[in-house]
Amino acid sequence: MNPTLWSTIHSEWIKFRTVRSTVTGLATLIVLTLGIGVIICLAIKAHWGDPGSHFDHLLFDPTSVSLGGLFLAQFAAGAVGIITITSEYNTGSIRTTLSAVPHRARLVVAKTVVLFASLTVIGEVVVFAAFTIGQAIFRGTVPTASFNQAGVLRAVLMAGLYVALLTVLGLGIGLILRTTAFSIIVFTTLLLILPIIVNFLPSSLKDGINKFLPANLGSAMYAPLPTAQNFSWGVATLVLLSYVAVVIVVGTVLMQRRDA
Amino acid sequence: MLKVDHLSKQYHDTLAINDLDFEVKPGVVTGFLGPNGSGKSTTMRVIMGLDRPTKGRATINGKVYADLESPLREVGALLDAKSLNPQRSARNHLRALAASNKIPFARVDAVLEFVGIASVANKKVGGFSLGMSQRLGIAGALLGDPGILLFDEPVNGLDPEGIRWIREFFRSLASEGRTVFVSSHLMSEMAVSADQIIVIGRGRFITAGSVDELTASATGTVLVRSNSSDRLRSLLTAARQVEVLNDDALSVTGLSCEAIGELAFANGIALHELTPQRASLEEVFMDLTADSVEYGHHNPELAS
Ligand SMILES: Nc1ncnc2c1ncn2[C@@H]1O[C@H](COP(=O)(O)OP(=O)(O)OP(=O)(O)O)[C@@H](O)[C@H]1O
Ligand SMILES: [Mg+2]
Repeated sequence: MNPTLWSTIHSEWIKFRTVRSTVTGLATLIVLTLGIGVIICLAIKAHWGDPGSHFDHLLFDPTSVSLGGLFLAQFAAGAVGIITITSEYNTGSIRTTLSAVPHRARLVVAKTVVLFASLTVIGEVVVFAAFTIGQAIFRGTVPTASFNQAGVLRAVLMAGLYVALLTVLGLGIGLILRTTAFSIIVFTTLLLILPIIVNFLPSSLKDGINKFLPANLGSAMYAPLPTAQNFSWGVATLVLLSYVAVVIVVGTVLMQRRDA
Repeated sequence: MLKVDHLSKQYHDTLAINDLDFEVKPGVVTGFLGPNGSGKSTTMRVIMGLDRPTKGRATINGKVYADLESPLREVGALLDAKSLNPQRSARNHLRALAASNKIPFARVDAVLEFVGIASVANKKVGGFSLGMSQRLGIAGALLGDPGILLFDEPVNGLDPEGIRWIREFFRSLASEGRTVFVSSHLMSEMAVSADQIIVIGRGRFITAGSVDELTASATGTVLVRSNSSDRLRSLLTAARQVEVLNDDALSVTGLSCEAIGELAFANGIALHELTPQRASLEEVFMDLTADSVEYGHHNPELAS
């Protein structure tokens, strides 16, 4: 790799790990994924034998359920990505950064590499932990998943990747909008509000749009077996990846054109 | 060599800098002087590749900033001392900068030591006073041992001891053959710390030269003493301003000693004294930028 890109990555890595907001964001991500996962799994176990729950039993997917904490944790992931760039604009430190690295595209690549690599590692560790803890809770009462079942290992791996991709999506949104508040609103809208709005649409339209929403792409990525309403995991990954790529490219072009 | 080449920068409807064209030479301290809002900071941001020029360009050793491979090794700048992430320690801030330009970390500790903040190197910069932040900014500018240094209003926030330190520091940087470009809106500051001065007003170039040249070129005042000062006063119609100091003394602005002497002789007035008063640099500056003060006092009663 280009030696200058390496030094930019090195510099961004130092910046990433030396601010409290990164540590807080990552801690929140871990606590939410594990904490909410444990609560969901315990609740299901406690009510497994309730009368009239046979239908639930048919649809029960122990893998996705043990990863249910991601529904909240994904916002922490997005926030980590967003703050990486918006904090530079808030504080004005972007000017110091660009004085040292005037090549905007190289800076964005370095930030992307640092975020993607760190969040892939943390994401994978935390989803594997959530999966393992969830199955341990279920054991004995509720059906469990294991890695020798079809699609399970891939599903858990993709869950970690989903976390990392959302972080980079946050970076891209932050590059475009440059303020923390705005970026968080847009990120939350994409993941949480948009699905609610789409729900009001006529079902002929709704089904077509729903599978393109980031949250449903995520569900498709970490479901062991394909579902009728969503894309297959491979297509879902590619669609999410292209969203991330578009947002990052637009953010980079804007950064090159705008005054710092 | 720092060169500004017919540079203009427009923000929406503000023409912040207008066709600026100058060179900043190595080996001397060059002051960049102009009233508030005259475009000093804008010029520096454009030089640093932070803001895109509308027209023209600024080059560093022949290259625009964005094309520098290791910019910190060529240019060191302190534009805004508070442009820092408050959560990061001084040392980590400098380490991140050093890493980006492949500068060894040993240099970080050396510059922290040099600016006198080594004892707070591991403290978060959010808690730093403005003076400490300035020192950290200077440490950042020195990190790559660059040949060109830019400082935007570096004296702000420094105590008298710090101001003296920074003046001597600029001199020593210049004496090592570096290019030192320092902005200020205070002529009195430039008069003591700069060798060469570039004056701008409302984004336009006004004049440039050494401190002495600028003072000499200014229309100074002339002290005139005479028995017939009343008569003389009515004859000095060509003067810009004639001030009555006391019964026999006048202070004349806008006419040379020669002109006043000839006029008195032609009218048979005996002069007891005719002395040019050297204009202070402050007056020169006020004079030069009088038409270009962006946020000046427009109430003539209050104007000085
Ligand atoms: N980002 C910006 N957007 C819009 N206008 C701007 C921007 N930056 C500067 N200006 C305007 O450009 C002009 C020059 O401002 P600049 O900050 O360069 O002046 P300055 O000489 O540094 O002043 P001061 O002595 O107060 O620091 C001002 O009229 C200012 O309002
Ligand atoms: Mg300024």
